[in-house]
Amino acid sequence: MTTEELQALNADKVVDARGTACPGPLLAAKKTIAEISSGQIMEILSADEGTRKDIPKWAAKKGHEYLGTLEESGYFKIFMKKA
Amino acid sequence: MEQKMTMALYSGALDKLTAAGVILSGAAADDMEVDIYVLLQAARAFKKEIATNKDKLELAENAHLRDEFLQSLDKLNVMEWHEFFREAKELTNVKIHICGLAGKIWGAEKLDDFIDLADDIVGIGEYITSAQEADVHLFI
Repeated sequence: MTTEELQALNADKVVDARGTACPGPLLAAKKTIAEISSGQIMEILSADEGTRKDIPKWAAKKGHEYLGTLEESGYFKIFMKKA
Repeated sequence: MEQKMTMALYSGALDKLTAAGVILSGAAADDMEVDIYVLLQAARAFKKEIATNKDKLELAENAHLRDEFLQSLDKLNVMEWHEFFREAKELTNVKIHICGLAGKIWGAEKLDDFIDLADDIVGIGEYITSAQEADVHLFI
């Protein structure tokens, strides 16, 4: 997705994992994906560089769709759609 | 099909146990099936009166930097090693097996002598079988 499309997205669930280091955000994402329905969008907020790389790979392995990442000041917004 | 990870957890050092916990979290995120075999030094760390008491556990490396290490973990909001294990057990199929010999060495003969994360007490044959079947095999 383009930056504009990501900015216009309304996530069904936002996971704010900025208070934890790796593997906290990945664990938070894993727990939260179980709470949303197929086709819904999850937005993960993380200040962790490793997580930024982990989430797209994890999403692909689990069959979910990684939509893209927005870089904010001091953290990332990572978007994915549940399969 | 879910992949399987077998971990031979030998170390009872705080830093290595934390590393094992982080790796375990990655495996849990991936829905792996995990078998952990708690061997010599780790069996002491899994004892009830030791597991949650950081003062009874050392670092494997850079022992002189212990305070810095613990303060950093705290500042970064990193879970304690046994909390990683507990969380992984909630998320995926993790079985924690205590080596019978190791338990005896540290005066712990019954499952009840260990924190409630421990599933059973086993012999080395089970570890070898599990390692033979594993997709990922680690010794920590």
